[in-house]
Amino acid sequence: MIVADRKPLSEILDMITDRDKILIMGCKGCVTVCNVGGVKEVQILSSSLKIARKKEGRSLTVDQITIERQCDPEYIEQVKATINDYDAVISMACGVGPQFLSEAYPQQKFFPAVNTKFFGGATSHGIWEERCAGCGTCVIHYFDGLCPVARCSKSLMNGPCGGSSKGYCEISKEVPCIWDMIVKKKMEQGRLDDLLCFTPAKNWRTSRDGGPRKSVREELAI
Amino acid sequence: MSTKGTNNKVGSVMVVGAGVAGIQASLDMANAGYYVHLVDSSSSVGGLMAQLDKTFPTNDCAMCVISPFLVEVGRHLNINIIPNSELESLEGEAGAFTAKLKNNPRYIDSVKCTACGQCRQVCPVTAVNEFDCRLDLRKATFIKFPQAVPLSYTIDKNVCIGCGMCEKACLAGAISYSDQARFSEIKVGAVVLAMGNELFDPSLFDTYAYSRHPNVVTSLEFERILSASGPYKGHLMRPYDREVPQKIAWLQCIGSRDINHADHSYCSSVCCMYSIKQSMIAKEHAETPLDAAIFYMDMRTHGKEFERYRERAEKGSGVRFIRSRVHTVEPLDDGGLKLKYIPESGEVLEEVFDMVVLAAGFATSKDTKALAQRLGINLNAHSYAQTSDLTPVSTSREGVFVCGTFQSPKDIPQSVMEASAAAAGATQNLSEQRWSLTLTKELPAEKNFSEEEPKIGVFVCNCGINIGGVADVPAVREYAKTLPNVIHAEDNLFTCSQDTQENIKKIILEKGINRVVVASCSPRTHEPLFQETIREIGLNPYLFEMANIRDQNTWVHMKTPQRATDKAKDLVRMAVAKAALLESLPQVTLDVTQAVLVVGGGVAGLEAALGVARQGFVAFLVERSNELGGMALGLNATWQGEPVLPYVMQLIEDAKKNERIKIFLETEVGHVTGTIGNFTTTLKSANNPLDTKVINHGAAILATGGKEYKPHEYFYGKNPKILTHFDLDAAVRNNDKALKDSKIAVFIQCVGSRTEERAYCSRVCCIHSIKSALILKKLNPEMQIFIIYRDIRTYGLREDLYKEARQQGIRFIRYNKDNPPVIDSDNGQELKLTVKDHILQRPIEMNPDLVVLAAAILPNENKTLFEHFKVPANSDGFLVEAHAKLRPVDFASEGLFLAGIAHYPKSIDESIAQAKAAVSRAMRIVSKNTIAVDSVIASVNPDRCAACLTCVRTCPYNVPRVGEEGYAIIEPSDCHGCGCCVSECPGKAITLKHFTDDQINAKTDALFYIEASC
Amino acid sequence: MNHDFEPQIIAFCCKYCAYAAADLAGSMRLNYPSNIKIIQVPCTGRVDIIHLLRAIEDGADGVYVAGCMEGDCHFVCGNIKTRKKVEYVKKTLSELGIEPERVEMFNLSSAMGPRFAEIANQMGERIRNLGPSPLNIKQAA
Repeated sequence: MIVADRKPLSEILDMITDRDKILIMGCKGCVTVCNVGGVKEVQILSSSLKIARKKEGRSLTVDQITIERQCDPEYIEQVKATINDYDAVISMACGVGPQFLSEAYPQQKFFPAVNTKFFGGATSHGIWEERCAGCGTCVIHYFDGLCPVARCSKSLMNGPCGGSSKGYCEISKEVPCIWDMIVKKKMEQGRLDDLLCFTPAKNWRTSRDGGPRKSVREELAI
Repeated sequence: MSTKGTNNKVGSVMVVGAGVAGIQASLDMANAGYYVHLVDSSSSVGGLMAQLDKTFPTNDCAMCVISPFLVEVGRHLNINIIPNSELESLEGEAGAFTAKLKNNPRYIDSVKCTACGQCRQVCPVTAVNEFDCRLDLRKATFIKFPQAVPLSYTIDKNVCIGCGMCEKACLAGAISYSDQARFSEIKVGAVVLAMGNELFDPSLFDTYAYSRHPNVVTSLEFERILSASGPYKGHLMRPYDREVPQKIAWLQCIGSRDINHADHSYCSSVCCMYSIKQSMIAKEHAETPLDAAIFYMDMRTHGKEFERYRERAEKGSGVRFIRSRVHTVEPLDDGGLKLKYIPESGEVLEEVFDMVVLAAGFATSKDTKALAQRLGINLNAHSYAQTSDLTPVSTSREGVFVCGTFQSPKDIPQSVMEASAAAAGATQNLSEQRWSLTLTKELPAEKNFSEEEPKIGVFVCNCGINIGGVADVPAVREYAKTLPNVIHAEDNLFTCSQDTQENIKKIILEKGINRVVVASCSPRTHEPLFQETIREIGLNPYLFEMANIRDQNTWVHMKTPQRATDKAKDLVRMAVAKAALLESLPQVTLDVTQAVLVVGGGVAGLEAALGVARQGFVAFLVERSNELGGMALGLNATWQGEPVLPYVMQLIEDAKKNERIKIFLETEVGHVTGTIGNFTTTLKSANNPLDTKVINHGAAILATGGKEYKPHEYFYGKNPKILTHFDLDAAVRNNDKALKDSKIAVFIQCVGSRTEERAYCSRVCCIHSIKSALILKKLNPEMQIFIIYRDIRTYGLREDLYKEARQQGIRFIRYNKDNPPVIDSDNGQELKLTVKDHILQRPIEMNPDLVVLAAAILPNENKTLFEHFKVPANSDGFLVEAHAKLRPVDFASEGLFLAGIAHYPKSIDESIAQAKAAVSRAMRIVSKNTIAVDSVIASVNPDRCAACLTCVRTCPYNVPRVGEEGYAIIEPSDCHGCGCCVSECPGKAITLKHFTDDQINAKTDALFYIEASC
Repeated sequence: MNHDFEPQIIAFCCKYCAYAAADLAGSMRLNYPSNIKIIQVPCTGRVDIIHLLRAIEDGADGVYVAGCMEGDCHFVCGNIKTRKKVEYVKKTLSELGIEPERVEMFNLSSAMGPRFAEIANQMGERIRNLGPSPLNIKQAA
């Protein structure tokens, strides 16, 4: 799942400072599941913005809608009839949402209400952790299900750096050193020898470094 | 009322005493198909527990946990509360008794009384308030406590001067000075005695200065002092000068374990724990650090979680525990109290305290003794009802059962267990008369208003002058008429009175009202009444909303009538706004499978299965091993000396012969699905997991038992002279010659109990050791017997054994946890035991021929079984009940019950009582064809559900699940209706019926005159 | 401090404890400000962030939630969950430049009638000291 955080209210308020009628759009996909952009969060943002405006003595009209997914044109199509009635639209979806919306409705101004952060999952309720960096060449099987690309601060592929200390990464006492975990797991499973195998330099062209990416499935394309 | 059945047995039961035990017994029986007459000598139900501040070991507020029970018993269609009454005589036989009652006058008609309290306001007489233990005053017209049931006033004729003021003030016309005692006769099939007990009166002792000094109080007085609704409103003060005490001493065993003054040799079982509780709560209440000291002989914390509670008091709260019996309390001039005492070190100490609390024990009252005599019930030497360990709730008279502290001194959960057990006992032989005398309400079909616009009727109550005397009720009424959707508004003198109820019904029909708002008192007390009224003419009970304009308005703002009027208008406007959005909620009922699964074939399981079968239902009895009987097969006798083996053999034979009992040996429980009323369980062979069988049942009782700890301490298993209790019982059974030949026998207590690893007391070992020691003494009177102990915990009447042991010359040596006895067996088979004597303060050595280790009692390991039922176990492995005080036999998951040692170590009589109690609790479910499910529950809109698992993770009861359907499922019968998932759901896919976002926001919006918008 | 200012305060009260305590305060005839309006909920766990924000948005000068004592929740932990929601709303108000003290969480048992009145008085006093909600000032102006 894509994990996001809501932007500070002040930042969102700045975006709409000269607009009086807005639409807040939630998304039923990842952002609902990570409790940042579903119906509930749309209501909270709506109320918060109205409180802020009332405090200034100005009125703000807010409509709310949460669509199935903001990353599919057909769902975006659902708001076609009314989308241009607003001074601005705030999207609570990941970064895909405001872009797809802008492409579909070039006359309207779309603002993102969330900062899209990473691919990850909930380790317990209210806590999400990064697990995948979308590098385009998965290597997880070499490391017993632990991805050094996403979870090593330096994305090292051949063991830890000198910053690994007591199981934690030098960048923070709260970030576990994934290489420490890989080594321990290999030891537990009696496969430490696997790590004697040198992993050659990773080809980062499949990752963001190769520029914007696209996936085409010929057999599906219409 | 209809009658059925051909014999002359009566389908109703009388319960005498409406304390917590009487209430529990009444509710169990009334919910299982019997009409209950609940008699109490006082003006309200509730008993002693209603006076308590908090309860151990959870420190729950006593009134909070008991008041829902008071309300339930008060409103029950099949419980007839007969207050102010005494049972005069009981004639006839079990199954068909005639009870003669004396109904003492109340002087205020409880049918007419609306508890408006005007009579109290005008009463010129003040009298001492007994409910507050005479620490406070009340009027001659009074109500026992604000949550009293029946909620009606009474006149204390002993102090009433007959001035007539209340009669004039009472607009309901409920006062009747000429009220006389009446006599009545009631036919019942059985009687449950739950009169409870009174506290020992310490004024008997002049050395404690109780009657001479106000700062010496009894424990019950101290409960009232601590209580937020007590005489000092929860502020910790001493009575003498209302100063905040800095030092308080608790003196234990006042009127207990004392044959000198009190003539009560027994232990009252509860005082150690309540003193610990009071000391901790007092420390919490105190604004400045409070020094709390408990002076005791043996600290008896033998119940579930009690030992840890004591640890918390000592280490966490800093309560001082001083092992010493204080002889004298000497009052000083400044209100202080000097105690002179000798602690274990032997020196004589003096210490001054600001207050002394006397931990008074239980004592059977004169009235109770007289009643027992009138009924022909045998009392034992301590004036408690005589019972056998193997039939712990049966009295000497057939058809008359006993529970609670009239049976023996005990705490609340034990009383509640026995109450349920007595309910099972009382109804067992009446099962053919089940539902024969119970009342049911015939109701018209509900009307469907879903297509109609809201048409709201508002009824504003004057409550005599309680509301109308402060707020301008006509103005509120006229205002209500102007609100949206309101088509009718009126005001009533008493909206709750019988004639107004009829009038409301008439007007609803005439005007086509489809939502009703009553502005009066609290929904807590009156909502069910109004809901019933509107239901009687076909309105769904949820089309009703209340505005609390008395308890939360005119009573609070008496001095500012204009504000009270304005607030009443606001509250009515808010109620009307919600009313417009109210929806009918369906009363969901589910069919019930009338059978019970019992897991575990020990005594508790056997008693449970037989109990279910004797109540007329099928029991599936599942046992993992290849024989029935469990742990009891290794025991010789109960604490009172009743032989166990013949009893267990009889149980097994009865169970095998009973055609309603299906026994599955060498069988384990596999998968469990379903909810209350309808479970489906897969049973599988212990030898062949592929050999499975599926059974359906409406309830389940887990009686999975326990076992004796096999000690790794003291060379156990390495030296034949070292035995455990079970080994010794076996040796006694086998007439082992070595026993008789022993010259020195030593019992070591707390082996594996009260340790770091197992921080609980195993409850039964002190008694077992003493009982075994007495048997050895009988075998060989010359034998020297030592019991090496930490605290002797012969709770309740079991103290008799301790007393007898001392008389027989059995010697008791105390040790501390850090300084346990040491056994040296290097010298071949010869044992050398060294222990430090607590009086001599020096080590003594002996060479015992026999050492008996009082090994801990452990729960059986059943991790996967408990997981199948989704029932919790605590850190010691014992099952966790729904509520430590009032639901000791239920699990939090409905339809599941527990009994026996799986719950906590306990003696056989206690296991039997709990097993019978579990039967009684299960009868509430399986005796019915259908079961109603609460309507205020969470429901999921699948279209909005993102299957995000938020509800699954946040439900306090693990009810929601996301299954193959791809969205969250919340079983209506499992949902408790708290709404936690509703307010967490990120997709707003869940709503809590009757408390939807729209309904809650409508109230807020209405307060600020904002038109409802969703 | 404005002596004429009468704050409007909403109190979300759990049916099992605070609501019953409020009734008890009434039967003990304890006084507290009349402009505190109670909304009964089955458990404070039912109280949602949006209910608190909505009250402020509508013009409440103060809002509080009163639930069972911690550890005594009738529904195990609803009060603990809601304490966190109250903290969230406080944070939101701070971000918007509104005093977070306008929102509060209290715990009390059903037997604590005097404590209920004390909380109501305390909250009334606190809001009176803070003055009207900034939302109301601008509207009036």
